[in-house]
Amino acid sequence: MSTIISVGIDIGTSTTQVIFSRITMDNTAGYFTAPRISIVAKDVFFRSEVYFTPLKTMALIDGDAVRDIVAEEFRKAGIRPSDVDTGAVIITGESARKENAALVLEKLSDFAGEFVVSTAGPDLESIIAGKGSGAYQYSIDNDCAVINLDVGGGTTNIVSFYAGEVTGKGCFDIGGRLIRLDRDGTVRSISPAAQRIIEEQKLPLRVGERATDEQLLRLTDRMAELLAEALGLKEESTLLHKIQTPNSSWLGQTHTASRICFSGGVADCMEQSRAGTADFLRFGDIGLYLGRSIRTNPLLAAARQVPAHETIRATVVGAGTYTTSLSGSTISYSDGIFPVKNVPALKLSYQEQQEFLDKGGESLYQKCRWFLEQNDTENLLLAMPGKLDPTYAEIKHMAKCIVDAMMRALPPEAPVIVVVEQDIAKALGNAMKQEAGNQRRVAAIDSIKIDVNDFVDIGRPLMDGLVVPVVVKTLLFG
Amino acid sequence: MLDQKWIDMIADEVARQLRAQGKVILPEPSDRPDFGSGVAITEDIASAESKAKTLLTNPQDAEALARMKKRTTARIGVGRTGCRLNTQTMLTLRADHAKAQDSVFTDVDPRLIERLHLMSVQTQCDCKDTYITRPDLGRKLNDEAVELLKTNCAKNPDVQIYASDGLSSTAIEANLERILPALTEGLQAKGLSVGTPFYLRFGRVGAEDHVAEILGAKVVCVLIGERPGLATAESMSAYIVCDAHVGIPESKRTVVSNIHKNGLSAVEAGAYITEVIAEILRQKKSGVDLVK
Amino acid sequence: MQLSTVLAGKTFTFASVKEVLAKANEEKSGDILAGVAASSVLERIAAKEVLSQLTIRDLRENPVVSYEQDEVTRINQDSIDAAMYEKIKSWTIAELREYILAYETTESDLIALGKALTAEVVAGVCKLMSNLDLIYAANKIRITATCNTTIGKRGHFSTRLQPNHSTDNVEGITASLFEGLSYGCGDALLGLNPVNDTVSSLMEVLKRFDEIKNRFEIPTQICVLGHITTQIEAVKRGAPCDMIFQSIAGSEKGNKAFGFNADTVREAYALLKDRGTAKGSNVLYFETGQGSELSSDAHFGADQVTMEARCYAFAREFHPFMVNTVVGFIGPEYLYDSKQVIRAGLEDHFMGKLSGIPMGCDCCYTNHMMADQNDIENLAVLLGSCGVNYVIGVPTSDDIMLNYQTNAYHDAVAIREILGLHPITEFERWLEKMGIMENGRLTKRAGDPTIFTARG
Repeated sequence: MSTIISVGIDIGTSTTQVIFSRITMDNTAGYFTAPRISIVAKDVFFRSEVYFTPLKTMALIDGDAVRDIVAEEFRKAGIRPSDVDTGAVIITGESARKENAALVLEKLSDFAGEFVVSTAGPDLESIIAGKGSGAYQYSIDNDCAVINLDVGGGTTNIVSFYAGEVTGKGCFDIGGRLIRLDRDGTVRSISPAAQRIIEEQKLPLRVGERATDEQLLRLTDRMAELLAEALGLKEESTLLHKIQTPNSSWLGQTHTASRICFSGGVADCMEQSRAGTADFLRFGDIGLYLGRSIRTNPLLAAARQVPAHETIRATVVGAGTYTTSLSGSTISYSDGIFPVKNVPALKLSYQEQQEFLDKGGESLYQKCRWFLEQNDTENLLLAMPGKLDPTYAEIKHMAKCIVDAMMRALPPEAPVIVVVEQDIAKALGNAMKQEAGNQRRVAAIDSIKIDVNDFVDIGRPLMDGLVVPVVVKTLLFG
Repeated sequence: MLDQKWIDMIADEVARQLRAQGKVILPEPSDRPDFGSGVAITEDIASAESKAKTLLTNPQDAEALARMKKRTTARIGVGRTGCRLNTQTMLTLRADHAKAQDSVFTDVDPRLIERLHLMSVQTQCDCKDTYITRPDLGRKLNDEAVELLKTNCAKNPDVQIYASDGLSSTAIEANLERILPALTEGLQAKGLSVGTPFYLRFGRVGAEDHVAEILGAKVVCVLIGERPGLATAESMSAYIVCDAHVGIPESKRTVVSNIHKNGLSAVEAGAYITEVIAEILRQKKSGVDLVK
Repeated sequence: MQLSTVLAGKTFTFASVKEVLAKANEEKSGDILAGVAASSVLERIAAKEVLSQLTIRDLRENPVVSYEQDEVTRINQDSIDAAMYEKIKSWTIAELREYILAYETTESDLIALGKALTAEVVAGVCKLMSNLDLIYAANKIRITATCNTTIGKRGHFSTRLQPNHSTDNVEGITASLFEGLSYGCGDALLGLNPVNDTVSSLMEVLKRFDEIKNRFEIPTQICVLGHITTQIEAVKRGAPCDMIFQSIAGSEKGNKAFGFNADTVREAYALLKDRGTAKGSNVLYFETGQGSELSSDAHFGADQVTMEARCYAFAREFHPFMVNTVVGFIGPEYLYDSKQVIRAGLEDHFMGKLSGIPMGCDCCYTNHMMADQNDIENLAVLLGSCGVNYVIGVPTSDDIMLNYQTNAYHDAVAIREILGLHPITEFERWLEKMGIMENGRLTKRAGDPTIFTARG
């Protein structure tokens, strides 16, 4: 058995949080078979308090202040940056992603360890939140469809799972902090998305003027209704399309929304809003109004509510515990080749793989060159399906083509790395080693699925070198 | 991608139901019960594709049943007529049992042994029947085999590899050609001397101890057919033992089982076993004594 | 004590009681492999004749493994009902056989008798019984036991639902479990044979079983059949568990090869009394099988029927809820073909009942023996008419983890209908509540595993 420590850092529009978890892996194969290392337990052992994200402007994060928060939480948890094996920093919400991401990478680089990655993109956030909330596991345990709505400050991230598989994902600019107010109800700021809704509803809400409970509830009732539209419980309005978060997928109607799980800060507000509207302005935003509107929306209330294990911490817990997966347990790699970070994957379909096997290394070489130029990068790894029950001659041929093509296409110091889906990596990697001799470091790992445009991190080997931890990222920034 | 699988599964279900409905159009007695198992012989009912389909008609939740079937290879969702199996289910079960029995009671195709240039020798069992009832005789080579090995095989190699039918000739036919070169070349690439491979008919695992004594091999690895299940008759195991002698405890063997195309594929097993053998030679220990 | 006879003009002399017992056995490939079988059919009958004239005392005083050397012998000898033994010790085995079969001898007579019989006596009388004798005698006896529900009452025929999975995938296990429940299986036990004998794996499955048992309010028992020490550890760590399981052998040496001894079982028993989830006092489950002692060279030159009887003597010390022989699992070198398997199944069931334990049977075969589905269906029906407590149920007969075939979920239903038997009463009521069974037959709804998912 072996344990690694994973960190999750979520820097959202409204809140910033840090969690640490222990990921335990063990050989779950019988004594008489080849090893099969699996993750057997995930245990969140430290949760930071929920900080308001320090901002310099409406959209720009105060990098130094964020750094101070993170440093303090590492200290409180008694964890040194060097103790951390894996994890993710996620920058969520409507804020200026690119600038913030660059800032965070710069300011947090010494805390992020060598393996901690920065990922983002609203779709991925939706999935991560749905895993962190427990909706994902619920869908597996109960063999059913569950939709998770992570209603945060700036956005609502939606994912639908069916028995552990992602069947839809999307994101809308609906959240508890789209409007900020003083305790007396004076409007301090209105986000563009909130402004669109105000205009559609013809509400008299303006910065600097006092808002009434009734006005705010009309606004948030409409927000709740938009969520119902997004889930296909009501006919879509044109407004729904206007408040779709940029770069997010259109959720579409996947399965009937018969089970819904709410996470995010507003999920807590749903309960808290039962006490009545008297102190609804205590957070200085519309979170409690939105919580009440969601709770009372008849379309949403008709669905069965799945209890969330994590609400406001769903995203950070998801990031800290669900981003890392393990390679297969019979793999092959040159000493010292890992870790590698942010390597773009050249993904071959089965037909493309067949093509280079038929035509030889040259066609794969051309493909690699084209990929490197297209992506303006010097590095890549090859991701391909592999073959079920290959012959030894087929493995040798595959290895020869790969090594030949990639050694020519890549700069002299770059390693030759292949990720195959079928469990053939040890045979393939050994054959690649023989092919490359001492000229190049090579690796073949398997049982990992990679899509077009993915980037991959592969960490230091674990469990006596039997496996490597892998993080597949669908979007990279910074 | 995954959505596509769902669609395929549902399409299969629809297709099957259409086929079942199609039968109703045929001139048949109108009181024919609609239990849905009467499928015309248009497919191999022992194939994985056929077994993946659901025979139960009108489940309360067809999607849930399709998901359940993805989670297990157990024969669920098979339905019934009265309280008995439907005809197709019964025949598929019998077909799978027939495959398994044939793999036990038929010999490995001699053309395979020839193609791999393997010398074929035999234990003290004279037939399959003796083989299955007398494990003691399956652990000893007959006199002719001892002579042939002494005459034709390299002595005192680091590693002696040989194949044996064990309880499944099918397993040897499915895997031997793939694993043998992977293993031999892999070991040679590590600078180890590999003995002359051969084939032992009617062999039990323990015969490798006798082989070790005859040839003086440091490590012996037998590739042997496992007792077949209904899911596959193709599963092979490797039993590896260091410094063996007749009577060595079973616990001294290192086992790599479940070698077949849907388990650990033969070439991957070859690569893995190569490393296991190298480690055994390094530690000069095998089985429970081997430090993993 | 006379160890020789003249039969059909030939003189047969035997060196010991152990040899008589061995040679009196019906033909078994395992006895031939062990070199203890009769060398001719006539020698077998001569041995039976000699055996028939030995007394209960002769057999008690000549255990096949000595008292000093073996705790199974000690447990057996020390637990004999002394008063009853005094009454019967001078009976010959022939007389014992006739007493058992006589009209005048009642069920309670036989239960009282059993307490005074050592394993060698139980095995001895078994060897003088024909198959129909074994069925007839066993049918006189019902042994009940209570965990959450009570098993073994006359008129009941139960099943252990065995939802095994090739990788212990909990969802896959659940799928097979739902399928089995939908056929009315599982009143004896929801019991998994795990692939991974680890505490975490056992706990995961036990938690799922417990959750399903509670969610659907199923009146039954749960168990995951890992090694006894792994189960003990799982219970210590808080796993919900009604029953602890172990495979047992008929000698201390055999049990040692299985990695436990009587103290381990005592520990398990005490632990479950303290922390188990069962309501009743019978909380252990044992499996046996002719030939297992020989396979670990722990048979001490005795035949496999006598060694099997010793398993039951060991088992009864611990008041198990269920015991079954896995009769065709061990392979053709011990039980060659269906004839030998069916004989062994009937012998084991009879010997278990006479020993006073709640006896079931896993009617099974492997693919390398001369048997098929027809044969174990025969055996299940025969055992049903013996009043066996339970058989096993798996999806369509095919156990994807143990790689053998046993009875299908469907089979128990058919046997109940044919013989007019029922599941355990609370369980039948539950089946009726779930709409699976009505008037002792399956409803239209039965056989659909999704009736359980649709509800969740």
